[in-house]
Amino acid sequence: MDLHKLMDLPGALAAFTYTDKGDLRSHQIREGAELTAQMLDLLTRSCVANRAIASMEASGWEALTGQAGFQPLRGFSVVGLEWSVVVDGNCGVVVRNRDVDYEATFNALQAA
Amino acid sequence: MHIVKQLMAIPGVLAAGEYAYRGDRFSYQGALTDEFARMASILCRANTLSVNMQAEIFDSFAENCGCRPVQGWIVRGAEMTICAVGNYFSFIENRDELLNDVMTIMRAKIGDVQEDLLVNLYSRLGGDTREALY
Repeated sequence: MDLHKLMDLPGALAAFTYTDKGDLRSHQIREGAELTAQMLDLLTRSCVANRAIASMEASGWEALTGQAGFQPLRGFSVVGLEWSVVVDGNCGVVVRNRDVDYEATFNALQAA
Repeated sequence: MHIVKQLMAIPGVLAAGEYAYRGDRFSYQGALTDEFARMASILCRANTLSVNMQAEIFDSFAENCGCRPVQGWIVRGAEMTICAVGNYFSFIENRDELLNDVMTIMRAKIGDVQEDLLVNLYSRLGGDTREALY
């Protein structure tokens, strides 16, 4: 997992990987960003929870409605006031909202 | 122009809608039935409540860190994506640049979600929920 590449994304403040349980495995934080490893560790736990919920919803939605197109799930993002966290698989990026390119970020995470 | 109508004018937007924070009504346009739109509204409201709860916890560890109030969320599927900002949602195809365009329009038209979002989400419980929340 090349966190350096993810840090090149527009507005990237931090990039990280985490275990299936949500433990922070590796990370990079841009100098000056008001994020800490402890904050990322809490964030990664919510990432695991949100991915699981989104996966359940995608599966349930397709089963109930007969509509296809959600599975397999390719990612989840929470948009905060100033930054967003974008995750796919066991990898994520925190990006500043004013610079964010969601598509590029999702694509980079899928390729990572 | 109304936000939902404006979103539906964009090629690749399959459906868009609005739900009441208190959960008792919804409206929509596009490729959903009434029942599917009701389900989508419940799903979006539940996810919005969940991510706001997470942001409250996060903020208690790192006050004013820029995460709250949560403005929205995105579920990226293989061929479709759900975008939710405030109490609006849209189902869109995964086309080049469409996600960025839709999020830009939703954020610009809806404006910044304010601090009272959780209070509104809980309002149907009755009573003074602010005391329990903060």
